[in-house]
Amino acid sequence: MLSPYTVLDLTGGHGDLASMLLGDMGATVIKVEPPVGAAGRNEPPFIEDAPESESSLPFFAFNRNKQGITLDLELEAGRNVLRGLVEKADFLFESGQPATLDSLGLGFDELKEINPRLVHVAISAYGWDGPHADYLANDLTIAAMGGPMSLQGVPDRAPVRLSVPQVWLHAGAEAATAAMTAHALMVRTGEAQFVDVSAQACMIATMLQGISANAIQGRDYNRGGSLLQLGQATFPVVFDCADGYVVLIPSGPTLAVMVPWFVEDGLVPESWIDGEEWPSYHMRLLQGQPINYSLEEVLGTITNYVAKYTKNELLERGLRDGVTLAPVNDVGDLAKFQHLEERGYWLPAPLPNSKETRMPGLVARMSKTPMSVRRWAPALGEHNQQALQSMLGLDDAEITQATGGSLGRRSE
Amino acid sequence: MMADQLPFEGLKVVDISWVVVGPTTVKYLADHGATVVRVEAAAPLDILRTVGPFKDGTPGPDRTQFFGEFNTSKLGLSVDMKVPAGLEIAKRLIAWADVYVESFTPGTVDGLGIGYETARQLNPSIIMASTCLMGQTGPAAPFSGYGFHAGSLAGFYEITGWPGQAPDGPWTAYTDAVSPRILSATIMAALDHRRRTGQGQYIDASQLEMSLNYLSPQIMDYETNGKTVTRNGNRSQYFAPQGAYLCAGDDQWCTISVETEDQWEALKVAMGNPAWANDERFGSMESRLENHDEIDEHIGGWTKDQIAQELMQSLISQGVPAGVVNRSSDLEKDPQLAHRNYFRPLEHQEMGTVPYAGHQFRIKGYDSGPRFAAPVLGQHNEYVLREILGMTDDEVTEAIIAEALQ
Repeated sequence: MLSPYTVLDLTGGHGDLASMLLGDMGATVIKVEPPVGAAGRNEPPFIEDAPESESSLPFFAFNRNKQGITLDLELEAGRNVLRGLVEKADFLFESGQPATLDSLGLGFDELKEINPRLVHVAISAYGWDGPHADYLANDLTIAAMGGPMSLQGVPDRAPVRLSVPQVWLHAGAEAATAAMTAHALMVRTGEAQFVDVSAQACMIATMLQGISANAIQGRDYNRGGSLLQLGQATFPVVFDCADGYVVLIPSGPTLAVMVPWFVEDGLVPESWIDGEEWPSYHMRLLQGQPINYSLEEVLGTITNYVAKYTKNELLERGLRDGVTLAPVNDVGDLAKFQHLEERGYWLPAPLPNSKETRMPGLVARMSKTPMSVRRWAPALGEHNQQALQSMLGLDDAEITQATGGSLGRRSE
Repeated sequence: MMADQLPFEGLKVVDISWVVVGPTTVKYLADHGATVVRVEAAAPLDILRTVGPFKDGTPGPDRTQFFGEFNTSKLGLSVDMKVPAGLEIAKRLIAWADVYVESFTPGTVDGLGIGYETARQLNPSIIMASTCLMGQTGPAAPFSGYGFHAGSLAGFYEITGWPGQAPDGPWTAYTDAVSPRILSATIMAALDHRRRTGQGQYIDASQLEMSLNYLSPQIMDYETNGKTVTRNGNRSQYFAPQGAYLCAGDDQWCTISVETEDQWEALKVAMGNPAWANDERFGSMESRLENHDEIDEHIGGWTKDQIAQELMQSLISQGVPAGVVNRSSDLEKDPQLAHRNYFRPLEHQEMGTVPYAGHQFRIKGYDSGPRFAAPVLGQHNEYVLREILGMTDDEVTEAIIAEALQ
């Protein structure tokens, strides 16, 4: 789909996902790293828990479909090679501290002179300029500054982030959309574009209806554990089951299916079935209209019912009758979720230690231009010789000088 | 910038999706210039029109910013596709459009008679995207629900909250926060392919599958190392200390994160080099991870009387990553967001002037943002039918008599 395009990925570990998505869509992607390797290579968890440059699982996960080269941008030779690559590129992603490339004479203003049709995307914590542009930041502090943490966690303890880093993935995915938007503008205007992605703004977007809560209704939402806050009413959505937890929203349509289950199990009398117009139960509750069974009664019955069954029993019973009871899965449960197997979702992937693993698959099924994985994450400098020879016609001596001394290895 | 230089000016989109993922995906195209017709029914209403936040706390389908936030720059058409005249209008829009997005449970649009086969006959080069929780095929395809459910199935509930307690889960429907960015990039790439080749296509985008990419390292950690990640408050498995610490005032928090030895040394200096911090039990990353509870008590004692904002600025200036926990009311005052001209006040027909969230990226020299407020239900019925579809007075009257318009 994007096979005519070449992408340069200079991100150091914050935003690898952006060029991976474009690569999955067919673009040629070159990951450009310093001779010591991108910072992302130090990112845990590691294969066999061994922190080595080829064993970072995040690096492996988010750098598929990329060729890898090293360039020493401290040297004029390295910078010249980058300029040569920029001339041939359609997209460039970077995620350094603002102005790092500028200080090397490789900022957007210089690069657009070399390539007047370049789309240059800069990913940063708070934005490329402004009062917080230089703030030290990481996953936790940006999740805090972006707002979603104020909505997560129980009221009597601290606000929480998701326990697995998410911020740079939001920013990376957003950068892919940003790049395609700017590319559309470039096609229209014929002019190079600079795009500034703010990870903080990406996290604000994850607040959904909470973004402007105070401005609209005169009060913020506050964290309430797993309670779903809908106007006047709040509903719990996490329930204890026999072997863990399930998420269900006690809405009218859900109750319409579950009430006969309650009756079948003898938890409530049969009169419950016709005792309420169940499909509209939650709407009447939200709008303050009459209901026959109190929310407390209903929630108590759900709690008693769900406690008797395992999460998979509940999932399957729900699927059978058309209601949504979602197990709180961990990564092990997920691996056993048959649906993903049958969709052929998982990608079997050979790790650098020759072991097989599998990773989450392509983001969408396209009828005419299927996404694909053509290569796994590159070893450090793996394509120095191959890429620089074929793209720029450099000889071995020039490559050795620009890359910090490595020809890499030819991959089959 | 001239109007004809918006990135997607001239692009035509029919948005028959609802709730969050479909509408938010299309919002990118709408805000950046596409003409988007958002097709809605009055019954059942898009669930987002029934929940808050409501303007001034007064409920009403045209008073909620939950709907408004994700439907900016779109024309609103309310039509009942279950009556033949309404379905006919939907078909005419599909014939008109370049892009058609829907987000119902699999089989729904086929049942209505506007599935991909029909769409392609009406419009051979159309790009149609279907997005739902589980994807169009597979045993769980009929699984209908919200991002809460997909977020739980994907594993995001498991990893949000405190160890030893029931999961808190992410705020609302997490896969709704992940999927639109990925699907919009996909549609834009399909559009670029169509620009070059004339070829349209069908996109099946499962919200579960898109979102699982955000857990790739942890899934591989399970597959290859046998490790199962779970919720751990705000702590990292790899470095310490890290947490949200209570400050002065009412429920004010500052996060602090120490990823390196240098940052630990800087934090010690910032705290005034207290004796406890030089205890050997806190001398290495491993020992700090081990004795994290104790460190948190010390840091919490030091932060509890400080102003969160001042503490953050002081820590950052001394080389320690920090950030206050912002609420929506704090974001309104955030100087960085003000610098980015983030919030965009727009005039809404029922709510008056209200702020809309701005974009997460800025394109230099182009003041992008939502172009106009979200529609009230059926706000552009006349315009869409007459100006876009070229329907005559008689045709519009017939549609009204047939109760196709709502």
